[in-house]
Amino acid sequence: MSAARVFVRSIGTVSAAGTGVPALVQALADPAWRPQLGIERPDAPSLPVAACRDFSPRDVLPPLVARRLDRPARILAVAAREALGPLGDPLPWARDRAGVCAGTWNAGTSALLEVLRAVFLATPEEAPPAQFPSTVANAPASQLGILEKLGGPNLTFAEKQVGGLRAIAEAGRLLLRRRADAMLACGVDEADWLNAEAYERLRTLRTSARPGMALAEGAAVLALAREPGPAPLAVLAGWGSASAPAPPWRYPEDPAPLVLASRQALERAGLEPAEVGLVMSIANGIPALAALELQALEALFGAHRPVAVAIAERLGEGAVSGALRALIAAHAVAGSPLPAWEAPAHLIGAGFPSATTAVRAALVPGLAGGGSAIALVLIAP
Amino acid sequence: MREAWITGIGLLTALGPDRETTWGRLLAGETGIRPLTLFDTTGYRTHLAAQVDDSALRLPTLPKRPNRHTSRASRFALLAASEALADARLPITSDARNWALVLGGGTAGLFEAEGFVARRLRGGPRVHGLGEVVEVPQDSPSDRVAQCFALTGPRITVTTACSSSTIAVGIAAELVRDREVPVALAGGSDALCRLTYAGFNSLRAVDPEPARPFDRRRKGLSLGEGAAVLVVEEAEHARQRGARPYARVLGHGVTNDAFHMTQPEPSGAAWERTVRAALADAGVAPSEVGYINGHGTATEQNDPAECAAYLRVFGERLASVPVSSVKGALGHCLCAAGGIEAAITALAIARGMLPPTVGFAQADPACPVDAVPKPGRKGTPRVALSSSFAFGGNSAVLVLGSRP
Repeated sequence: MSAARVFVRSIGTVSAAGTGVPALVQALADPAWRPQLGIERPDAPSLPVAACRDFSPRDVLPPLVARRLDRPARILAVAAREALGPLGDPLPWARDRAGVCAGTWNAGTSALLEVLRAVFLATPEEAPPAQFPSTVANAPASQLGILEKLGGPNLTFAEKQVGGLRAIAEAGRLLLRRRADAMLACGVDEADWLNAEAYERLRTLRTSARPGMALAEGAAVLALAREPGPAPLAVLAGWGSASAPAPPWRYPEDPAPLVLASRQALERAGLEPAEVGLVMSIANGIPALAALELQALEALFGAHRPVAVAIAERLGEGAVSGALRALIAAHAVAGSPLPAWEAPAHLIGAGFPSATTAVRAALVPGLAGGGSAIALVLIAP
Repeated sequence: MREAWITGIGLLTALGPDRETTWGRLLAGETGIRPLTLFDTTGYRTHLAAQVDDSALRLPTLPKRPNRHTSRASRFALLAASEALADARLPITSDARNWALVLGGGTAGLFEAEGFVARRLRGGPRVHGLGEVVEVPQDSPSDRVAQCFALTGPRITVTTACSSSTIAVGIAAELVRDREVPVALAGGSDALCRLTYAGFNSLRAVDPEPARPFDRRRKGLSLGEGAAVLVVEEAEHARQRGARPYARVLGHGVTNDAFHMTQPEPSGAAWERTVRAALADAGVAPSEVGYINGHGTATEQNDPAECAAYLRVFGERLASVPVSSVKGALGHCLCAAGGIEAAITALAIARGMLPPTVGFAQADPACPVDAVPKPGRKGTPRVALSSSFAFGGNSAVLVLGSRP
């Protein structure tokens, strides 16, 4: 395992909290803030999705540009413009040496439903040709590459809840292997009823009668580079990946992959568990996941109790959720004041404190249905 | 420097349920493109596809019996993985193994979910059909393979459309070379469905006749389906157990042309960058390349752009580098295509036979390559490329080398 040293140069986001990192931080700092959940679907009640309700690309993308993009690509493009802004124009790198790594759970599903609507309710000839290219999950990353003329590697990973974390880890690998000089590493998801309905049927979505997750819409972008530049926010110092066999829709019963992935990430970063000051919790409202996380963190940290913060219960779960947690970790180790977020209940009970002080090292674990686990370590530059 | 060897290959295509049937029929110049029976094709420009015969989907004895809701795409992946492990003489057990799994993820369970979507769009009930939607996530075939074969290492699903599984093989080789795992299963699986059939139909990108890559009469692609899984193994690990490789993965390149969602940059300059990046990663000179397994979709725009890229890299020497496409025989298997083509390229290197471009008969001045008319011919490339291009301008090239 080679030592990682990849710099987080800037960040950008669109989420249910609004457009931009300041809007996100402000919303999360208010303990009472909750997004309005919901997505319409045919002939049935709304489902809990934390959608970007007031999102508009108007202030960032010219109308003719925005019109060419589908919704997840617009969301990603606006988040990316926030991350690209501080890097200057021209960028510090040749655009052929800058790329995009995206993770997504469901990008393309709305376009997919539009094409199938024509197939099933009209005729195949009426399938909209402009929509079809947007049905591929790599459409947002590709459209971003085309929009910003980024000719470096352009990869998309579909790994449900950990897609965003995978994208960040693989962007780090691409940089270390010198396949690019800079990468926009991101998570992006859209609000769609098909995915939500599937998880409602699996009884994992939150209702008034049972705990569970809400799904997320949004994008989170971390601009990563091999060179630190004048003011890096953080260092992506390590990542790890492991898995446990499980059906695609179920979490594994064993916390081992989460522990192993975290240990690999720490080892690559050259850190001991006791040096971790912040854990970005994977809690998303599903009790079984909370129980797995608690077992994993106790195995990893022993008696050590870093600050723990959870956001997915409020912002929703998805590939974007992992990238959002990494984004907040970068923001935190950069020395930005931490808002008074509370630790999730299952970790408070085990002695994990809520965020109050600045931290220098953060662990961002992730676990997907099907059993794939990823962990990132971000440290102060 | 550690090496990544391909020590096992599993293939499932329209030409056959296994590696040897596919290879033998491909070399004979046969095509698997025939009338599609998976769903009603009334109203489409074409009625053809390279469909996998359902009789091939009887699963062998696996360590863990797949769930009854396992999709066609997952069954393809399970069959290919099982064959690849057996071919590599690696045990097929349910004992946990810290191996990586890197697959190109395509439509996954979308064919099955389309029944559910059709009912819902028509106002039908939502209380039935849970099994139809559980494999909508594109990494579902990866989850099924990992669950069946108890893989506990990194599990990565690349979804860059038609270059997905080319990149997957490249990442797998990198994990092996970087000492992260001793063995990785890599490739891809994709199944036909109404979405892709209607989508390419709407783009007018399909030929009503079987696809004719690099041919001047070409009118578009033929869709296909299938799976390939390659055992990518660290050389010393393989040597210690006496395994012989088909080929070595020397390197790969991946770039984006940042040009258009569905059309390649026509001058070939962008694709040229990918080829050069792959050669540089492999430490190989263009003069060493003896065969190219091309993307060769048979669309009007793809084939000339691809050939232009090769011309930019190889110059006049391109005339002596055979370039064949398997898509006239196997159809365009989308996210599985790159894995299948990497497998075919490895077989070509190992067996000294170059697969033909089935469907090619009349040269096109816009595609100035030796396209290997059928049947296949002898050839002993020491270095070969497997090249893919995808929606969104994502291109990827693998460099494979002969066994040491």
